[in-house]
Amino acid sequence: MPKKMYTLITGASEGLGKAFALECAKRNMNLVLVALPHSGLEELSHFIERNFSVSVHSFEKDLCDSASCHELFFEVQKRGLHLQMLINNAGIGSTITFGEGTIALYEKQIKLNVLATTIITRLFLDNLERNTPSYILNVGSMASFFFLPKKQVYGGTKSYIHFFSKSLRKEVKRDGIRVSVLCPGGINTNLSVTLLNKTGTWLSKLSIMDPEQVAPIAIDGLLKGKAVIVPGMLNNFFMLLDKLLPEYIKTMITNYGMKKMKPDDQYSRLLRKRVAA
Amino acid sequence: MKIFVTGATGYIGHSLSLKLAEQENTIHVLVRDAQSGFVPQHPNIRVFEGDARERSSILSAMRECEQVFHTAASIKLWVKNPDDIFKTNVEGTANVLTAAREENISRLVFTSTCGVIGPSLKEPMTENDPRIIGFAIDYELSKKMAEDMVLQYAKKGMNALVVCPAKVHGPGKVSHGIAANSMIERFLKKGIAVVPFPGTYKSCFAFIDDVVEGHLLAMEKGRSGEKYILGGINITHRDFFDCIRTITENKGHIIQLSKNKIKGWALLQLLNYSIGGRHPFFTFKMINHMFSNYCFSSEKAIHELGYRITPLEQALQKTIQYLNQPLYA
Repeated sequence: MPKKMYTLITGASEGLGKAFALECAKRNMNLVLVALPHSGLEELSHFIERNFSVSVHSFEKDLCDSASCHELFFEVQKRGLHLQMLINNAGIGSTITFGEGTIALYEKQIKLNVLATTIITRLFLDNLERNTPSYILNVGSMASFFFLPKKQVYGGTKSYIHFFSKSLRKEVKRDGIRVSVLCPGGINTNLSVTLLNKTGTWLSKLSIMDPEQVAPIAIDGLLKGKAVIVPGMLNNFFMLLDKLLPEYIKTMITNYGMKKMKPDDQYSRLLRKRVAA
Repeated sequence: MKIFVTGATGYIGHSLSLKLAEQENTIHVLVRDAQSGFVPQHPNIRVFEGDARERSSILSAMRECEQVFHTAASIKLWVKNPDDIFKTNVEGTANVLTAAREENISRLVFTSTCGVIGPSLKEPMTENDPRIIGFAIDYELSKKMAEDMVLQYAKKGMNALVVCPAKVHGPGKVSHGIAANSMIERFLKKGIAVVPFPGTYKSCFAFIDDVVEGHLLAMEKGRSGEKYILGGINITHRDFFDCIRTITENKGHIIQLSKNKIKGWALLQLLNYSIGGRHPFFTFKMINHMFSNYCFSSEKAIHELGYRITPLEQALQKTIQYLNQPLYA
């Protein structure tokens, strides 16, 4: 009997991670889903099991804590799950000036976006190697190509992901593991980001995608072995411009694109008030 | 008992106010224009002119009331400025909630929509199922935010709950271009029903009387902080219109359009808007959403509230009879 193969997705309860989970289930892949406790992971797992004929294992972990990454690894080992695909999706985004952001935010962002991705990839590398051809998809961002204001730390973490993925890709290719990095533009991931995305200029608004549009493009790209996956026509056009335009014009465009992005928009405030209440 | 109803000139709010008024309650309704033809007329209904977006007008209309039904919402599918939708649906709900707290309202039922739960896959969606797509449509996003706010208040001690009607048809207002009533009316009068190709996508069609009754049951028996789907029959678009064909013995056409054709149609509407100023009745953003199932399970409401679903044929007969009247309200 062939081994039952699994796809591990981190940050699976919301936004792009949820879209990945649904997309993979649609493609008959068995799932190992990881997300924060009380984030709706149980509901999602049940939902997928009811609607698709795949098996789902779910783990509630806060991956900001590297001990949790190790716990996850041991629990997956204990259950004897064979991984054929790893999607490092969990991450914390932000659109905030450096002075306004707290140190706690940056710490968490770096721990999750950089450290957790590194640790999890390292821990599961052997497992993936045993089940080749296997795949690793890291979620980066277009912010790793453009130096956007209000995205200093975030863009930095995603640049790491970009570098890490492309470099690792060269190493593990001969072992039969394919590594891709997904570099999306703005995505309507959760409620507050969806609201924030509505505050941009027409140019940035036009490039916003929904997670259910991005996920299939990403999985297709990964299976085809693309090194860098940029979803969306407009985003690809931006990437082309990036190659053609001189630096000072790019600066003008990125500044314009980010100008009206204001997290302090009235509805985000309202939402925050609601969350605090 | 004195009961406050917002959105009384709307489809559900209108029928709900009349039903409550018939049960010997005094109903306070808040309307923007007291002269509007949609204001429910009944000796037990007291009309207050005002706007849910202004807290002062809510406070005076809510005074002395024990219960609140908050059904008011901007359901416009086409607005120049999307802020209007958020102002009415999110800030309006915030206003109603703070006023309800100040006035020590004993119980509040908020009317949300199954649109917040979103499209379904194989099985009908339940209240706890995760949404499988993003919130691209402002109306759905605004209702989600409002709903979350109500549940948050409930968590903090307010006696409040949420009901989510599915696609509603039946006697009452024909609210907008792709509402069930206007689809049925177009089929009856023009003999055309346009459905996404293939016509096997399913939707959940609820009957207005059931939904109004569901509101009363939720107020009476619903648990605070909970959400209840008030659905109906899950059926393919083709079978739905076939059922109307059988009832009316008419030979209307069911036209199944592909995504690209519907996009072309949306483009024509957009042109028509920029030239003639006529509002489109659906937009590009909504097209992807049309090509999905929207099935919902009313099990929770049936078990906990005693919600009942009228058989489709019986419900459609009433709807058709109403829409076939020469001049309905």
